[in-house]
This record gives sequence, structure tokens and C-alpha cells, in this order.
Amino acid sequence: MSQTLAVVRAAFTDATARPAAFWTQVGAMVANDLAMIAFWILFFHQVRSVRGWDADRVFLLFAILATAAGIVLGFLSNARRIPELVETGSLDEALSLPMSPLRYLLVRRVDTVNVGDVVFGVVLFLVTGHPTPQRAALFVGGVVVAATLLTAFLVTLGSVVFFTGRGEPGALGMHAILLLAGYPVDIFTGAAKGLLYTVVPAAFVAAVPARIVDAPSWRDVALMLLATAVFVVLARTAFGLGLRRYTSGSAWGRG
Amino acid sequence: MVLPAERPRPADDVDPATLAIRATGLVKRFGSGPHAVDAVRDLSVSVRQGERVAYIGPNGAGKSTSIKILTGILRPTQGTATVLGFVPWQDRRRLAARTGTLFGQRSQLWFELTPRQSFRMLAAIYGLDRAREQRRVAELGELLDAADLFDAPVRTLSLGQRMRCELAACLLHEPEILFLDEPTIGLDLLAKRRLRELLVELNEAAGTTVFLTSHDVADIEHVAERVVVIDHGRVVYDDDVPTLRRSLLATKLVDVGLGGPAPAIVLDGVREVARDDALLRLSVDTTRTSIRSVLDVVLDRCDVVDISVVDPPLEQVIAEIFAAEQA
Repeated sequence: MSQTLAVVRAAFTDATARPAAFWTQVGAMVANDLAMIAFWILFFHQVRSVRGWDADRVFLLFAILATAAGIVLGFLSNARRIPELVETGSLDEALSLPMSPLRYLLVRRVDTVNVGDVVFGVVLFLVTGHPTPQRAALFVGGVVVAATLLTAFLVTLGSVVFFTGRGEPGALGMHAILLLAGYPVDIFTGAAKGLLYTVVPAAFVAAVPARIVDAPSWRDVALMLLATAVFVVLARTAFGLGLRRYTSGSAWGRG
Repeated sequence: MVLPAERPRPADDVDPATLAIRATGLVKRFGSGPHAVDAVRDLSVSVRQGERVAYIGPNGAGKSTSIKILTGILRPTQGTATVLGFVPWQDRRRLAARTGTLFGQRSQLWFELTPRQSFRMLAAIYGLDRAREQRRVAELGELLDAADLFDAPVRTLSLGQRMRCELAACLLHEPEILFLDEPTIGLDLLAKRRLRELLVELNEAAGTTVFLTSHDVADIEHVAERVVVIDHGRVVYDDDVPTLRRSLLATKLVDVGLGGPAPAIVLDGVREVARDDALLRLSVDTTRTSIRSVLDVVLDRCDVVDISVVDPPLEQVIAEIFAAEQA
């Protein structure tokens, strides 16, 4: 654990070494997220609710998505870069250290722009999420589990590169899950909805945690933990097996 | 010429318990089917603890691939290896805790941080407590004459300064083996010389095994005790540096900048390899004629505006090894 904390501390110091750039990027992302909220405000001004989802629930969903995705893309930013790191031989750096290479890679780099998502998500919950101690605790728990699942999903898809030599599935998967997670899951029906609970588990990244904050149920909690456990096992297995096929390379990039 | 097939290699006749590295029949194949490439083919090499070995070969010979196998970064397709008693690709983490790697073309220091901040992170990764970390950083600062560099952001350091800090980073945990891949690449002459001296000092003071790849003949001459040459993934030459020096590194090149026409230089063991109006290049076999004698004659007979003595490029040395092998 102290290894991980040391790398986290170094990554954060690295990211904030130029404070003006750091805060500019954080501010830019907050502004970007505000534009999205403006869209939903205008939308719900015209339509009071969509399949049971009103403005408050959508804001809660968006707060969870922004916070969880911000944690993954900001603080665990290499989760989405597995294909790039493999293709350029940049895993060598992690593999030459006496710690878990996946753990090192995940916390190795902070993308400051996505830290803005975390700031925005938390503020949005505090302003529109009717925070009470119970709702706040459920929000934090939901975000942590959603971020874990999202990380595991990205690592699983990214690890396909070890077996196919192609990194596209990782990029496509990331865009798909983030795009789909931003919509209330109940607007989907049938097979499409089933996919969001299984193959592309976007429902667990925002909609299910939002439902848990609003109306806690053991069924939802169990479903979410189960889905997360499955993807964590998948991610560890895919990355571990992939490392055996790693071919390295001569390009030593910044991991 | 001494070749592996003709006599035991220098580390073959020692107690296996004293070997730092022992690899047998290593093969690394990339790809499959008709497009498969064997980067390493039936590579066998042993290195004693405390030895300084130069591991050289032309580009694409398999040097980096075999180092990556020996450090556990890559898994071989076939073959066995132990490094400090560990199978690298099975015990990578335990092995990494006892080895240091320095790659001239990459940095283990973070550019926006100071070296001291990177050392703190590495110390935690290697399990050094705060007191030991501070003691090691102070020792390395003194040894590498780099203490004043440790608090400047890495991005502000020159390449030579950065390499000294890189070396400090890879020595922080007092590794028993140093794997160095082109450690002097891009350094100026003074920085190269200092780094070579440091490697020898470290080896002599702490018994650190040094396993070095380089394209610079001077690295081999001044750091290594033994040279292993590989080509197409196989060892083609393995002997100690004094033997190599006597047979191949005895040749030096003398470049003479000319201010006017120059006569032919006729001396035993001296060969003119290039000439134009402004430059005369002589190849000197120093076992037959000393550099000093050549310089005396050149300065006496030519209008000299500049003069330098350099090592032949590694490719030439390797070519001569291959030529001798075929002969």
C-alpha cells in the first residue's frame, strides 16, 4: 500500500508542478461540464420527466458519472492507455520495478483536465443532490464502486491489444461506456438494456448508483458489487495473461 | 581468435553458486508462422558475481531483448535462466528488488519532479525506510558528485547531469546487479569518462555485477573486464578485455587536420585509410608502433592544424571479430 501511495503522491506532485496550467485545465473541464448541465436544464424545462427520470435524478446521475469517470480518467488515467503503453513498449518501466505493474501503471499518471470532472461532480451533488449524511455516504460508495468497475472494464478491453495487436477495442469501449452511462438507463429497452447491464456495463457506472442513492435496495447493491467483481477478475486475468505475450519495444515513452 | 566453440567461456568453469547470471539455450521468437522472427536464438551466457561484462553486437543482434528476458520483462520462447538464483520471468518482483536497470534512452526520473522527489517514490517502492533513504541519497550525492542536482526539476538538467541522477536512482536500493543499456549515449566526453569511472568504482567498492551494452568502444575498454559479442541472437565471441585489446582494440585512428600537402607516412603498423586536401586519417596498430611515435612523425613532416586520436567504431571491431571467426 505504501508503494501505491508513494506513486500517487509523485503523480499528483508531477501533475501540479505547473499550478497555472493545472487550474486552467480543471476550470476548462468544469466549464465544459456546465454546458452539459445547461443542456439538461433546457431539456427538462420542456419535458418534465423521461420514463421516471426528472431533472434532479438526471443531475444525480450526471454527478456520479462525472465524479467516477473523473477519478478514472484523471487519477487512474493509464486505465484507458493500456493499448498505447503496450504498443510503445512502455510497460517496461513498470516491469522493472518490484511492484504490481498494473497497480503502478494505473496510478502513474494524473490527467489534470479530468480532475475538473471530479470537482464538478462533487459540487453538482452538493448543490442539486439533496445531500444528507446517508445520501452522501451512498454517493461516495457508489462512486468508488462505479470507478472500480469502469477501471476494470477499460483494463479488460485495453488488454485485448496483447492478443490481437490492435488497440481500437479499448478506445471504442471507453467512448461507448461513457456515452451510454450519461443517459438514464430506463430510456433503453429489451436487448439494448440488457447489454448495458452486461457486455458494456454502463448502467453500473451511473444509473444504478444513482438509483441506490435515491432508493437504496440490497438487490441493486448486490448486482453492482457482483458486476464489479466480475470485471475486476476479468481485468486481472486479461492483463496477467496478456503480460505473458508482451513483446516490449524500443520506444521508451512516458508511461 | 578465441571463440566459444574452441574453449570454455570465462564463466563456465566456476561454481554455479557464484554465478550472478546463468542463461542456457534462450530463444525469443516474435510473431508466428512465416513472419516469425527469432530475436534471440539459443543464447547461453554466464556471468560471475562481481564481474563487469560488456554485452555488445550490431543493431538488431538481440542485446536489448536478452536483457529484457534477464530482467523478467519478457518471457523467452524456450530456454532457462537464473539471475541471482531467480527465474526472472517467474520471480520478477523479487529479482527487481535486487537489480538495477539503466537505459540510456529512457528515464526513470519524472521530468516535472526533482530527482529527490523521484528517489522518495522509488525508496517506497523498494521498501527503504526514511533513514536508509536519506543515508543512501546522501552517499550517492557524494559518490556521483550530484548532491546539488537533486533539488532541481529533472527537466532543467543537462543530459550528463540527468544521467548521474538516473544512476543514483538505479543505485538507491544497492542492487547486486546493474543492467545498463547504452548508458553513455548522448553524453559529452567528460560525462562519459566520469560515468565509466563511477561504474568501476561501484564494482570495486560494492562488488556490484555490471552487465553493460554499448556502441562505444571506450565503454568496453574502460569499464568491462570481459566482452560477450552477440549477433543474430547468438554469442559469437566471449573473452576477457585484455585479450580483445591485444587482438582488436589495439588499433587506434589518428585524424590529422592538414594546412597543406602531406607526404606519405610510412611506419610499421600504420596504414593510411583516408586522405583529402584537409584531412589525413591513419590507422595505427599500437602493438607495433606507439601513438607517440606516430604523432612525432606526423608533427615533424606535416603542416598540422588539428589532430585527434580516436577509437575505431564498434562496428569495425565487430566486423573484425566476424572476419576472424570466418577465417
